[in-house]
Amino acid sequence: MANRSQTVRRNSNWILHLVLIAASVVMIVPFVWMILTSFKTVTEATQIPVVIFPSHWNFSSYAKAFEKSDFTHYYLNTIFAAFMKTLFPVLFSSMAAYAFARIRFPGRTLLFFLIISVMMVPNPVFYTPQYLLMSKWGLVNSVTALWICSLVSPFATFMLRQFFIGISKELEEAAILDGCNPFQTFRYIMLPLVKSALVAIVIIQLLWSWNELQWPLIINSSPDKLTLSSGLATLVSMFSTNYPILMAGAFMAVIPMIVLFFLFQRRFIEGVAFSAHKG
Amino acid sequence: MVIRKKTWVSAMSLTVVAAMALAGCGSNDSNNGSSASASGSTGASASSSASAGKASDAPKKDVTLTYAIWDQLQQPAMEAIAKEFTAQNPNIKVNVEVIPWDQYWTKMSAAAPAGTLPDVFWMHSGQFVKYASGNFLEPITDKVQAGEIDMNNYAANLGSIYVFNGQNYAIPKDFDTIGLAYNKEMFDQAGIPYPDDTWDYAKLAQVAKQLSQPDKGIYGFAAKMDTQGGYWNDMLANGGYIVSEDGTKSGYDDPASIEALKARYQMILDKSSPSHQQMTDTDSTEMFKSGKIAMIFEGDWRTTDIDGSDIIKGKWNWAKLPKGKVKRGDIINGLGNVMSASGKHKDEAWQFLKFLGSQKAAEITAQMGAAIPAYKDTQAAWVQSKPDLNLQVFIDQAADATPYPAGSKAYPVWFPKESEIMAQAWGGNISIEEGAKQVAAMMNQAIADNK
Amino acid sequence: MNSRSRYVWAYVMIAPTLLGTVLFWSWPAVYSIYLSFLKSENFGLVNHWVGFANYEKLFKDHEFWRNLRNTLYYTVLFVPLTLVLSTFFAVLLNAKIRGLSAYRVIFFLPQVTMPAAAAMVWVVLFARDYGLINYVLGTHVAWISDAKFAMYALVIVGVWGAIGFNMLLILAGLQGIPRALYEAAEIDGAVRFRKFRYITLPLLTPTLFFTSVVLMIGATQIFDSIYLLIGKTNVALPAVRSLVYAYYQNAFVYYDQNYGAAIVDVLLVINLVLTGLQFAFQKKWVNYD
Repeated sequence: MANRSQTVRRNSNWILHLVLIAASVVMIVPFVWMILTSFKTVTEATQIPVVIFPSHWNFSSYAKAFEKSDFTHYYLNTIFAAFMKTLFPVLFSSMAAYAFARIRFPGRTLLFFLIISVMMVPNPVFYTPQYLLMSKWGLVNSVTALWICSLVSPFATFMLRQFFIGISKELEEAAILDGCNPFQTFRYIMLPLVKSALVAIVIIQLLWSWNELQWPLIINSSPDKLTLSSGLATLVSMFSTNYPILMAGAFMAVIPMIVLFFLFQRRFIEGVAFSAHKG
Repeated sequence: MVIRKKTWVSAMSLTVVAAMALAGCGSNDSNNGSSASASGSTGASASSSASAGKASDAPKKDVTLTYAIWDQLQQPAMEAIAKEFTAQNPNIKVNVEVIPWDQYWTKMSAAAPAGTLPDVFWMHSGQFVKYASGNFLEPITDKVQAGEIDMNNYAANLGSIYVFNGQNYAIPKDFDTIGLAYNKEMFDQAGIPYPDDTWDYAKLAQVAKQLSQPDKGIYGFAAKMDTQGGYWNDMLANGGYIVSEDGTKSGYDDPASIEALKARYQMILDKSSPSHQQMTDTDSTEMFKSGKIAMIFEGDWRTTDIDGSDIIKGKWNWAKLPKGKVKRGDIINGLGNVMSASGKHKDEAWQFLKFLGSQKAAEITAQMGAAIPAYKDTQAAWVQSKPDLNLQVFIDQAADATPYPAGSKAYPVWFPKESEIMAQAWGGNISIEEGAKQVAAMMNQAIADNK
Repeated sequence: MNSRSRYVWAYVMIAPTLLGTVLFWSWPAVYSIYLSFLKSENFGLVNHWVGFANYEKLFKDHEFWRNLRNTLYYTVLFVPLTLVLSTFFAVLLNAKIRGLSAYRVIFFLPQVTMPAAAAMVWVVLFARDYGLINYVLGTHVAWISDAKFAMYALVIVGVWGAIGFNMLLILAGLQGIPRALYEAAEIDGAVRFRKFRYITLPLLTPTLFFTSVVLMIGATQIFDSIYLLIGKTNVALPAVRSLVYAYYQNAFVYYDQNYGAAIVDVLLVINLVLTGLQFAFQKKWVNYD
């Protein structure tokens, strides 16, 4: 009896792995192809039939992509903007989320609704007016413009409020009895308790900010004000179908986040999983 | 673990405090920002003499100018010019910024109302009226009249392209025409003589057919969907036109224009040219560079780029465009350098602009093979920049070429839409005739809307 | 501590988020609607009130209806496919198998890839003559420049990028289902599929609901992959052009911000309606206990 069920399990495991490995290959192939193509010559990249490996591993496409576009600034701007777009929303949202979750004050429901209502609005709706605002402040084509409109995050406020609601009130009541004001209660008692949620929000904000294309494409134009994604769009315009150069650029753009992901993969994966619980 | 937690909490609280402090600053910032922009805009509308006075108070202040261009192939030459300029004016540095053509006008149209146009930038004849009529460009008429610059120094009356309401706005930079690039090796192998002055469109089609081996991915001609470097030349040669001379009507639905478009498209049907889909996957000039196309129309500005390909270097040359039923059609366009009306350093920008229009700058442009300089009698140096290529064809064709169909506010509206409609025709979704008629209707509408 | 001073603290703590939201999000949303009633000249420096003229033009424009249909078609293909595949792989990975964490990492990889970079490599993979996909499948399809296939190419790229994230969300939902329920079912002798159908799926509905709302809002805003994968001279563009792509073209390439604003305002209404419908119908299939 026991034997039979084990065989069944082993067989199904074998099929399971086959399915998963096949899917994994599909997931990974684009990366492999990106790397292989970046080392090919243009002729090799567009040869019929397809050549899988480059005949020489030449780095000239990387040199060219680096020479023709300002990757140093792309990196710096992207990192800086991602930092600002992560730090401030997390700080502001956690404070606001705590207040909305735990303090009864006049206008609470209305103000909360005012904040989360913008989550329903598609991002492109904001672009033109935000653009005009930046233009009024003289921030068009500046590094500041990359992040300033994302200083606050209704999404993070909404998520964190859900977490704060789920925390038991006992600790907090003790703190209040000890004479802590609401901000101290938040800072010393509640904030440490939602640490995992904060990590989740940080990861989501970071990914979203790193990947964003349309806003940086619209707002900035000078090569030293672009981000990696809008820089890549520029590279496409410059080199149209010179695939090795484009792939070299693409690889340089994706590698930092991939390295970060491998270093902190458990944090990433748990962070996303964690956010699901309170969604 | 406990310690780690504590430091984390205190770090967090520190940043919270900092954030709150910043939140206070934030509102101050925005006040400053708006007042700064308010003063900026008054500065923009103030007369140039006021800003001139300000600059002369501190004449040798270090200044960095921005010079925006769209062609990365010309970047080395433009940087060389900027370097030469800084050598002569050590207090003025110039940053050359490349914004690719696809994004250039999007960015400029955004920057114009924001008052953030680059100090000095390339202007295209098609876009010029829009910027000049909006007062975003600094007129240079008084400098011309004061004799600081002589418009007679530039060939082919190029300065007149950039005159609006009697004001001069640009110093001619270069001019460009279109030529027929051909792969000598492919002609040799087929035993066919190279293209020359006697060729007409029928000959082009016939030879293209002979040189094509579609099953091997080799084609005689790239019948690409392109305006200035493509069918506009065909339309003119066949007696058609792009925009009527008074600028009021599209020429796309003229029978001669449609006939020319159809003839070009026929080469795709004949398999003398790759299909539009193939040319979407791989840029046709890239195909020429990798030896898969025998002939292609291209602008002179691609010379350095094409010659940079190891595969084709030494095996290609330029010829004149073929003759059509009526004439040899060729579009000539001249780029200009302009300066922003709202720049912070207009005096320095003018110095640089003047230098860009100098013989020295033209010589650098010519020697580096970047473009045909507009400055009189410097074209020979450009022709000499690649002695093994017949660059003279571009100069020769300039004499009876047709100016780029610009000079209206409507052009920036219809031009991007044109390629979207023609893509449908070139891709086979609608007939060429239908596509041409749609473009004509769209252009006429744009002209009516943008009087 | 009296409640008035607690109010003050609350207002102080929500102030940055509230002010930022109003300034950077709420006001622009309202302003966008205002813009759609204007006609601008000279780069937006001169504006006239034109009432519903932009909307009239929009609703008479065949291109707009086609873009709307494309956007909805993409959403209808992308959302269910992503949900089904994400659930499928989440169920497979919700077991103690070897290499579990490796699979999770691999599936998540597309999520940490910038969509712009991903779109660029898919262009190469999809190429008709020298693309890897046609080579492996032995086909000769112009995936991204044939109007019949371009939409599917976009969906493939979209699903590829979305599976990892949503799989993890669903996996988390699965792990929240108490083991005891399955053990009870095993005593009843329930087979795998029945277990999935009658225990897993009902308990997973809150997660699936949340995921589908988020996916849908994202799907209706598709832009990046059209911009980089299809491009503006592609013959297949009209077959895939989305509302947001049309917005970008009109507002920032044809310089008609007002017409662009009208397009995204229509998208706003569509999103409100779709989200409203989902909430209205959630009672029919979502279990909250």
